[in-house]
Amino acid sequence: MPGQSIPDHLKISPFLVLYMVMSMQIGIGVLGYQRLIVLTAGNDAWISVLITGGCIHIIIWMIYKIAETVNGDLVSAHVYIAGNFVGKLLSSFFIIYYFIYSLTVQRSYLEVIQVWMFPTMNIFWFTLAYMLLCIYIIYGGVRTVIGIAFFGIVLPAYLFPVFGFSLQLAEFNHLLPIWNNSLKDILIGSYKMSLTFIGFEVVLFFYPFIKEPQKSKKWAHLAILLTTFLYTSIMIITITYFSRDLLSRSVWATLTMWKIVNFPFVERFEYIGIATWSLVILPNVCMSIWISSRLLKRIFNLQQKKGVIIMAAATLIAINFLPTRAEVSLLNDITGQIGFVFNFIYIPLLLVVVMIVKKVKKR
Amino acid sequence: MKRWLNKKQNDSKQSKENWEKALEKSNDFTQSTYINQKSNVPFCLTFMSTLVDEQIIQQGVLPYLLEGELNKLEDIKKIVPSADVEISTDHTVIDKKILNGYILLTIDTEPEHFAFIATQKEIVRSLSPPEIEFSVIGPKEAFVESLGQNLNLIRKRLPVKELIIEEYTLGSLSQTKVAVLYMHGITNEENVNTVKQRINEVHFDAITDSSYIVQLICDNSNSPFPQLLDTERPDRVSGILAEGKIAIVVDGSPHVLITPTTLIEFFSSFEDYFLNWILSSFFRLIRVGAVLFSLLITPIYVAVLSYHYELIPRDLLGTLVASRRQIPLPPILEALFLELTIELLREAGARLPTKVGQTIGIVGGIVIGTASVEAGLTSNVLLIIVALAALASFTTPVYKMGNTIRLLRFPFLLAAELWGLLGIVFAFCIMLTHLIRLTSMGRPFLEPIYPPRVTDLKDSFIRLPFRFQSKRPMLLRTEKRERFSKKKAKIKKDIDEE
Repeated sequence: MPGQSIPDHLKISPFLVLYMVMSMQIGIGVLGYQRLIVLTAGNDAWISVLITGGCIHIIIWMIYKIAETVNGDLVSAHVYIAGNFVGKLLSSFFIIYYFIYSLTVQRSYLEVIQVWMFPTMNIFWFTLAYMLLCIYIIYGGVRTVIGIAFFGIVLPAYLFPVFGFSLQLAEFNHLLPIWNNSLKDILIGSYKMSLTFIGFEVVLFFYPFIKEPQKSKKWAHLAILLTTFLYTSIMIITITYFSRDLLSRSVWATLTMWKIVNFPFVERFEYIGIATWSLVILPNVCMSIWISSRLLKRIFNLQQKKGVIIMAAATLIAINFLPTRAEVSLLNDITGQIGFVFNFIYIPLLLVVVMIVKKVKKR
Repeated sequence: MKRWLNKKQNDSKQSKENWEKALEKSNDFTQSTYINQKSNVPFCLTFMSTLVDEQIIQQGVLPYLLEGELNKLEDIKKIVPSADVEISTDHTVIDKKILNGYILLTIDTEPEHFAFIATQKEIVRSLSPPEIEFSVIGPKEAFVESLGQNLNLIRKRLPVKELIIEEYTLGSLSQTKVAVLYMHGITNEENVNTVKQRINEVHFDAITDSSYIVQLICDNSNSPFPQLLDTERPDRVSGILAEGKIAIVVDGSPHVLITPTTLIEFFSSFEDYFLNWILSSFFRLIRVGAVLFSLLITPIYVAVLSYHYELIPRDLLGTLVASRRQIPLPPILEALFLELTIELLREAGARLPTKVGQTIGIVGGIVIGTASVEAGLTSNVLLIIVALAALASFTTPVYKMGNTIRLLRFPFLLAAELWGLLGIVFAFCIMLTHLIRLTSMGRPFLEPIYPPRVTDLKDSFIRLPFRFQSKRPMLLRTEKRERFSKKKAKIKKDIDEE
């Protein structure tokens, strides 16, 4: 298949999958996922997080199963089950998905900036600068994109210990009694949590670029484990730090927690946090634009250099049509739902179909 | 057949006249005829008087030619006590040889043969201590401008047959000799081939220093970062050769190039290897910290005072506001004013003779600084910050990297003015992307940070003791990973045992 044989020196080491998956998962959601979950699952919200994390291990296993069977990315899988034309038609849907995904991330981050730092921030100019940076990154190839993913995890890691400040004021009684909420509520919480967790499906697109993909499996699972740990711990800190009432009014609970951070030379730590967060969401935007441009290349044989510019320009234009908070949250909901359907319904289905086709082809 | 022969003879005559005609125009062209005292054979010496050593001719060549048994050209090999005597029939090399300081010797009876005797005058500056990469401990020799001398300094430190020296001549006008050094059986062949290929592809007329080579063979010439390390320390060169890197020595340049390099290497001084590993690791960390400080502190000042007053605790804010109360300028202009002043001082100091430079430093640093604070143009907090940042940028052991750091401060400043802290992070992302994309001879420049290689971290931000350095860096993909056998070096000893 054209465009599938990637020379070895352009591939990435298996363990970099850890950073790839983690940085795609951790994005804008972390800044304020707690409220929604706690609203349904109450003080058992952290159990919801754990359940979702567990489910994702199964999905990741499925993703690897699909990729191994067809020995390629999602487009290969679609072509494998439905032939060239239908397969590519199916795949072209994901161009739109990743376009909306990058748009959502970018716009939501701008929303945070507008609310917390610069109320009059010009959306167009900031997006233009951000898109130019993305083009520069993607032009460096997969190695550079994953490099940004790596730094998007390693450099902002200093933010994690900062949650210790909130721990000083933690009221662990809030966690009790455990299993206070019905299983149904907890599961609904898990469903809502899945929106923050999505992103791990990038493996399905980057698979041909991984050196010795067999070895990368454990790293992908480790990534899920670490993200689950991170989300669970932040959730527990949030539940113990906030009163239920206050939390239901905190849209960005993580940012609110940073307010308590106090150094002799820094007072409002959330400014630093938000600024650093642009390094966290950069890989999100880059990888989704990379994927959509890669899909353009795989499906329509469009040069990826052109594809990147088209996707970046489309984001730049589209972002102007989302001026207010209402549109941003609508967009977030849509992306979350598509993401849920894709990850938790479509991928299992795809695996089943791939397995059936494999059996049929063997005969 | 005969016609062809005639023509060939004509040709040779033509070319002979050509080189002679061309060289005759210069006043230092010398041609004189002598007669051998024993055989009465007349012979002619042609040379450029500015290139040859008169003393060698007068004492080491001419007496033997006059008094020895000279019948035919072959005889000089016996009578002239010089190792570099060559007999040739090739006309085309004559001008090249003469211009390289050889004497051309011809005998009328043998018009088709020429002898060349090496009599080059070599003006060598005596060895001096390194000035840019000075170290308190360790060898005090630095490279000089002569290729031969420099190669001697390196070979002396690595007297093994594995050290290979390959010479090239570059530059259509300057004819600069360039030597590529590597260790056979250790250095990765692919790296050596890349370097050789790049050097062969150099097309430039006059190469006067190794810095030319750096710019001509580096991976990305549009990058502000130096991608080849240059050093004036022979000990450093021999050290990195043993590690499996490649050195490029250029005639006429006291700086030897080292490749492939990584970003971190630019922050390591060779003195780090002379000190205890705890001390040197500490110093390295300080240097890396200094670079980040120098790069970010003024932009942070501008960002905070322009946009994020809230970031500063009340007590500290009081100090800041008090120092800025009288200042009419916005923080960005204030910062640019001071940064440019420091740059002016540095530039003036670098161009002026040492003694005048010191005076300028005192005048600039103390007088201008104090006066501008007193006049209410800048705040004294910023003055401290800028001075510290300048100081920090000078801790970088490699001069070229220090320049890069100082240059990069300005885009950061502008970004900070534009979008505050967000702008700083944004500028940082651009720099980061650039560094990730950058390669040095095809090897990743940011290694071992990205691609992350834990084993190579042993000699990066920190320097672990030598017993942990049993393996060569993964970056270089050396043919022989092991530097020494760790098992042999291991000493098993229990308490109170010998």
